[in-house]
Amino acid sequence: MSKIDIKNLVKSFGNQEVLHGIDISISKGEFCVLVGPSGCGKSTTLRMVAGLETISGGEISIGDRVVNGLKPRERGIAMVFQNYALYPSKTVFNNMAFSLQNLKINKKIIDEKVLETAKILDITELLDRKPATLSGGQRQRVAMGRAIVRDPEVFLFDEPLSNLDAQLRGQMRAEIKLLHQRLKNTVIYVTHDQVEAMTLADKIVIMKDGKIEQQGTPNDVFNNPQTLFVASFMGSPPMNLTNATIFKDGVKIKNLEINFKKSSNLKIDKNVVFGIRADNIRLPEDDESGIPVKGFVTLVEELGTENLAHFNVGDNNFIAKTNAQAKLKLNKEHFFNFNMKHAYFFDPETGARIS
Amino acid sequence: MLKNISNNISNESIPYLFLLPCLLILGSLLSVPLYKVFEYSLYDNVIVQKDPTFVGLQNYQEILGDIAFWKATLNTIIFTVGSVIGHLIIGTGLALLVNTDINPKARTVFRSLLILPWILTAVVVAVNWQLLLNPFGIINYGLDKLGLINEPLDWLGDPSLAMWSLLLISTWRGYPFIMVSFLSGLQSVPKELYEAAELDGAGFFGKFWHVTIPQLKPVIYGVALLDLIWTFQLFPLVWLTTGGGPGRETEVLSTMTFRYAFVNFEFSKASTVAVSILIISAAFTIFYLRNEKNRI
Repeated sequence: MSKIDIKNLVKSFGNQEVLHGIDISISKGEFCVLVGPSGCGKSTTLRMVAGLETISGGEISIGDRVVNGLKPRERGIAMVFQNYALYPSKTVFNNMAFSLQNLKINKKIIDEKVLETAKILDITELLDRKPATLSGGQRQRVAMGRAIVRDPEVFLFDEPLSNLDAQLRGQMRAEIKLLHQRLKNTVIYVTHDQVEAMTLADKIVIMKDGKIEQQGTPNDVFNNPQTLFVASFMGSPPMNLTNATIFKDGVKIKNLEINFKKSSNLKIDKNVVFGIRADNIRLPEDDESGIPVKGFVTLVEELGTENLAHFNVGDNNFIAKTNAQAKLKLNKEHFFNFNMKHAYFFDPETGARIS
Repeated sequence: MLKNISNNISNESIPYLFLLPCLLILGSLLSVPLYKVFEYSLYDNVIVQKDPTFVGLQNYQEILGDIAFWKATLNTIIFTVGSVIGHLIIGTGLALLVNTDINPKARTVFRSLLILPWILTAVVVAVNWQLLLNPFGIINYGLDKLGLINEPLDWLGDPSLAMWSLLLISTWRGYPFIMVSFLSGLQSVPKELYEAAELDGAGFFGKFWHVTIPQLKPVIYGVALLDLIWTFQLFPLVWLTTGGGPGRETEVLSTMTFRYAFVNFEFSKASTVAVSILIISAAFTIFYLRNEKNRI
């Protein structure tokens, strides 16, 4: 187990700079998730930590060592790849044992370590099989086994669940979390799936266009998004966002005026982006608090435990969470309560949060 | 019902209908000469004699009892196996080199240059190498200047050097096929496998042995067999460089066939040797086709 310090990390391909000074500090045993849309630089950052990409600028330390000049095998890391990268010609046993065989470790010890790891992952019966005969989930387990067997200081995961179907993804997500609780290794995990990020992480780093937008605990980034991008990216369904103007008694969205006690940072006549999560727009029968707003219901998504109601207020579309029993009539008007204590405001030009 | 049956038959026969022209052309072009060669091998001497006599398997008995035939067979095996090994070693090495991450323009230039031996016809290759290996040629001149030899060597005329020289020429001529095949194989090896091996602590040879070779195995097997079949029948390169000589030192089955037919005018014996080549080649081909079928 080691802490990881990434300081002012820069990556350029030719003249094109793709990472513009990344700073992340990951404590011992922390599960850090890098999340962001495609092309944001999260995988490149991970590959630079692994030593699979050269570092154009900045410094990466694992434990007390600066690893910039070290080869991947000298960094004390293990990595799980998106497409597993299992050696097709080797059996599961030899896939898992390969790194130990390269270290010329005693065969008996290798056997013990592989068997022990196989037991943890429940893949003992697969040890004699080749990767081609395994299912996606089994391959995923073998890939994790290959990483665990080395007892590395740091685990790196590069979108390891993206090739699995939704059900298996949920199952494997829980297994990875349990495994981390058991092994307590430091982890850097890359994903574009914000649900994965929220459920797994001790610390989330949200990236966009080669920069960090925000980092913090899942609770922090969800409840205190510092930028418009973070607000829109984290959460499912995404936060309701719409252009608005501040007026004396609240916020005006076109002709709709929502009165609330605003902070002094919200200057009158200022154009803002108004945001509110679906969880904070409820039916009056679910939550009486909040400002009632009349909306025209266009769609209801039934999720079993709750419903998502899409409704229009003028030209603006909002999503509200309702109880599963709520009987909303389509194409009819209903009242929805906006809990303005949980409203967010952002600068439309800089995207920064106005608190 | 009858209509259904006739429909089924016509549906099933459609693929064969498409194959028919090809089968007809190949069949007529191959079956007649094949039959003729086999027939000739059963007569005492065809073409030069007006009324050849049927002698059954007598030609085969004579050939099998002839030391020259066994010498040619042994030479063919040495030449074929040696050439294929040479092709594999040089072809693999060069494929790895031209697959490295260097300047794309330089890589294209190297790839084009290294394919050149394959483009040249056997006659051009043979004549060029004859000039290069001539006792007064540039290779002897270079070796002499480097102080490696005291007097010029007769590479193609010296019995102890002729087969080695022939293997050198054949390797030079044949490696591009292996190189190109392996190069395409190398490019299809997922990059992540090398990265995983790198993280697992494998060095250059570790990655080559545990990732490259297993990934290329199906290509290596198929290409090596194909090369074996082609080299086994190779005629012009041997005939135009050593002519099977000196003496019979580099005589292979294909040059022996030619010698019997167009030097000695013993067409029946030539046919007999040709049939033996055919049998061995057919065995290799069946082996190759089975391998390809397994791959599919």
